Amino acid sequence: MKKNRTMVVVFLAPALIFFCAVFVYPILRTLVMSAFHVENVTSSLNQWRYVGFDNYQELMGTSLFRISMWNLVRIWAVGGVAVMALALLLAVILNSGIRFKKFFRAVIYMPNIISAVALATMWLQYVYNPRFGLLTTFFNSIGLTSLASVQWTDTVHKFWALLGAYCFGMVGYHMLIFSSGIEKIPAEYYEASTIDGAGQLGQFLHITCPLLKGVTKTNITMWSITSVGFFVWSQLFSTVTADTQTITPMVYLYTLVFGAGNTVTERNAGMGAAVGVVLCLCVVAVFLIVNWAIKDDDLEF
Amino acid sequence: MKKAISLVVLLALSLSLAVGAAADHIVYWSMWESTEAQGQVIQKAIDQFVADTGHTVDVQFKGRTGQREGLQPALDAGTVIDLFDEDIDRVNTTWIAYLADLEELAAAKDYEATANAGLIAACREVAGGTLKSVPYQPNVFNFFYNQSIFDQAGITQVPTTWPELLDACEKIKNAGYIPITCDDAYIMCMLGYHLARLVGEEGVRDIVMNGNWAENPAVLQAAQAYEELASKGYLSPTIGSSVWPMNQNGELALGIAAMYLNGSWLPNEVKEMTGPDFVWGCFSYPALEGGVTGTEAANYGAQVFAINDKSEVKEAAFDLICYITKGQFDAMMAEESVGIPADTTNTQWPAMLAGVQPVLESLTTRYSWAAGIESNVNMTPIIKENFQKLCGGQLTAQEFVDAMEAASN
Amino acid sequence: MSSQHHRAHVNWKKEARLIPGYLLIILWVAFTVVLLGWVFAASLSTTKDIFMGNALKFPTGLHFENYAKAWSSQNVSTFFLNSLGYASISTVLLILVAAPAAYVLSRFKFFMNRPIQSSFVAAMGVPMVMIILPLFGVVSQMQLLKQDWTVRVLMVFLYIGINVPYTTIFLLSFFTNLSRSYEEAAAIDGCPPMSTFWKIMLPLAQPGVITVSIFNFINIWNEYFMSLIFASSDRVRPVAVGLYGMINAMKYTGDWAGMFASVIIVFLPTFILFIFLSERIIKGVTGGGVKG
Repeated sequence: MKKNRTMVVVFLAPALIFFCAVFVYPILRTLVMSAFHVENVTSSLNQWRYVGFDNYQELMGTSLFRISMWNLVRIWAVGGVAVMALALLLAVILNSGIRFKKFFRAVIYMPNIISAVALATMWLQYVYNPRFGLLTTFFNSIGLTSLASVQWTDTVHKFWALLGAYCFGMVGYHMLIFSSGIEKIPAEYYEASTIDGAGQLGQFLHITCPLLKGVTKTNITMWSITSVGFFVWSQLFSTVTADTQTITPMVYLYTLVFGAGNTVTERNAGMGAAVGVVLCLCVVAVFLIVNWAIKDDDLEF
Repeated sequence: MKKAISLVVLLALSLSLAVGAAADHIVYWSMWESTEAQGQVIQKAIDQFVADTGHTVDVQFKGRTGQREGLQPALDAGTVIDLFDEDIDRVNTTWIAYLADLEELAAAKDYEATANAGLIAACREVAGGTLKSVPYQPNVFNFFYNQSIFDQAGITQVPTTWPELLDACEKIKNAGYIPITCDDAYIMCMLGYHLARLVGEEGVRDIVMNGNWAENPAVLQAAQAYEELASKGYLSPTIGSSVWPMNQNGELALGIAAMYLNGSWLPNEVKEMTGPDFVWGCFSYPALEGGVTGTEAANYGAQVFAINDKSEVKEAAFDLICYITKGQFDAMMAEESVGIPADTTNTQWPAMLAGVQPVLESLTTRYSWAAGIESNVNMTPIIKENFQKLCGGQLTAQEFVDAMEAASN
Repeated sequence: MSSQHHRAHVNWKKEARLIPGYLLIILWVAFTVVLLGWVFAASLSTTKDIFMGNALKFPTGLHFENYAKAWSSQNVSTFFLNSLGYASISTVLLILVAAPAAYVLSRFKFFMNRPIQSSFVAAMGVPMVMIILPLFGVVSQMQLLKQDWTVRVLMVFLYIGINVPYTTIFLLSFFTNLSRSYEEAAAIDGCPPMSTFWKIMLPLAQPGVITVSIFNFINIWNEYFMSLIFASSDRVRPVAVGLYGMINAMKYTGDWAGMFASVIIVFLPTFILFIFLSERIIKGVTGGGVKG
């Protein structure tokens, strides 16, 4: 037991030292800041003005912040289900013994490492373009002219256009995580069940899924974190000024901290900090729920 | 004894250093990228400056985003930055606390003798009456148009009133072109300008800050004007969905559309596509009947240089400003970046901007960006959504007003 | 003889069963290739053709000068070397720091276990702006930004620190899913717990370690905001800031073809490294005892 305690201390210490040095002070500062009116993140303490919970109250009363939260929830939930399903499906297919596995895996992951600037430009100027875009051409060629004439980036469809483009890039990342989980499952399990006559679906449901609990947890946690930080794609889908279809809390935070677009607007880093705290709590809540829902203690095998 | 001698020696040494230290070291954070024409000309000016004066310059090309996100933290942290530049409004409001007063230096160098008086006045005005920044790369925000489409449509005079604009649109449409196009990045400016023509910038700010959308009849009037443009087919069919630079490049630069309310940086941004033969025209947003401001008002401004109040080399930094904003390097900057010269003795404007000169010279009233329509961060995206719908023909003028009134409560 | 025949028969059956999988994967890959192919084609096209919808048709031939222009515009080789240094050193050190932590968090029940896990996760939810800007204030007051070598060390330190929570949480599940029977066997053989970790458990978690290292490497390679604030001189700048400057400049000047060329220049090294890292390391590992 004593041996274990030394081991815990020795193994945890470096990580905790880094964590304290880089995170603890800024996080505490953010937490405290959210109770103050502060013009700039780097303003010195004597320029802070205590406002209690006013920042939070004002946030909740701002319809734009509520819109941004609603967009975030939709991105997280709808996008999450779609991305996880596709990623798992692709990972399972890739590991089912098909040829050129490594090539396919590399291509599917590729969008994840291309700069978002290029990908977003590609989606906007090529795929969604109403004059010569991929979608318009495709729907015209199969005779669905009503779908072909849809303007995908207008105020009605823009959110879904954005979500589709974003999810396409994210599938590869989560596919890799699932894939590394599947690779770890000993091949004997499948061999044994094949001999027992289990079908592909049966193997998937009874072997792959239960053994992927751990990575699923990782995947959901990572998805939640990246969703909360959703920012660059919003900016690229609505240049200079945000719009209701693409705004997320991070974009809102950014305008609070650095001002909006070309106009000089009032800044309040304290309120930005409050947005940060809300986001942070969302991530922790998701993490706790996932941990509670997917217990890995029963995973012994 | 030894100690005393070494002290004396040290003292003498440091004294001689101080006396001999005519060469200053200037740290300059630039809003340009080193790859942009402006950045390259500035680099040339700096090289010349270093060769002539013996000062040294550490220039760091931060770009717009870099300045906006990084400058203030760096200044707060006491990083040595002597000189920096950005947009006139951002420098003089957001960073005003860090700026040195430049009145004395400017007077000593007789800077204003060859500077654009209107812009210098604007700098004084935004800084609260005293000169804290030096303008260069002036710009003006107004209607830019394709002269050859105007010629084909038989428009001989630029529109100065709203009926004239409608008339011009009709002719352009009949000639087979799209009269007016825009992208999401600039679409709010059209509404801002229209409202400001009716009620002035202060009136616009009152509407967006206090939510007087239904109370102020100008809103409905402006909405009706754009409803009419939309219903008559004078606006680009993709105006409600285009994400910058789709229409700027795909419609205006390719010669499909005639007019775009944009900044004087536009010809430079699309020069790769238009080629050198494209003839640009410019006119002020038309005046409206009974309006508070007319064609004499527009958003014009500049990038400005400012010197850190804590800088110990203010004079050398000001000399560097002069190198960049005067004489040959100012002319070079205007030519290479298709921009407007800051030095009034540089009378030769780039050919592409020839049409801008009379417009800029006719302006007497200055709007800030988009005439103040974007000044409420909590409303901007909502205004944008509804105005895009209005322009796309999905909302009527009354529905627009109702939607805005509902959203601002 | 008959058994061999039997095996071949089963394989054919297996291939047939894989057809739906093949179809789906090929469809997805084809879509990806078309999209990324467009980006690549755009980088060899002209701005005018891109906005006329002719990016895939090359009416005026291939424009390799886009690359020449993008490459010569910046001090690209310095940026690459800097990034390579930051990313590889930090990635290796990160595993050394985070893997042991993840292991004890997954294996031992102790009083601070859950709170540590939750605060790591919370840390990932805090926006970078709120972390980087205050840190910058502290660091510059400590006079750590005056010399190049201190900036370099600081960058590596921060890259590690910022990615510790992510890496730890990521690796947690991989250790959790490993059977305890390995440790029990090692204990019976008399192997002390700490060396059991280094000799047995860490190699067993290798698929996870490789995956997270690839992610870390790419994250650090592409990291923008922190380097923008901390690495202000060109000598210590990594690729992301340097080359995003290039992308921005191309965008501001309306040279969209050049912008796409810059994107490809930024993307290629990460992609090659991704292939190299994942293929090489996985090959090296699967020969070992993973399946045991």
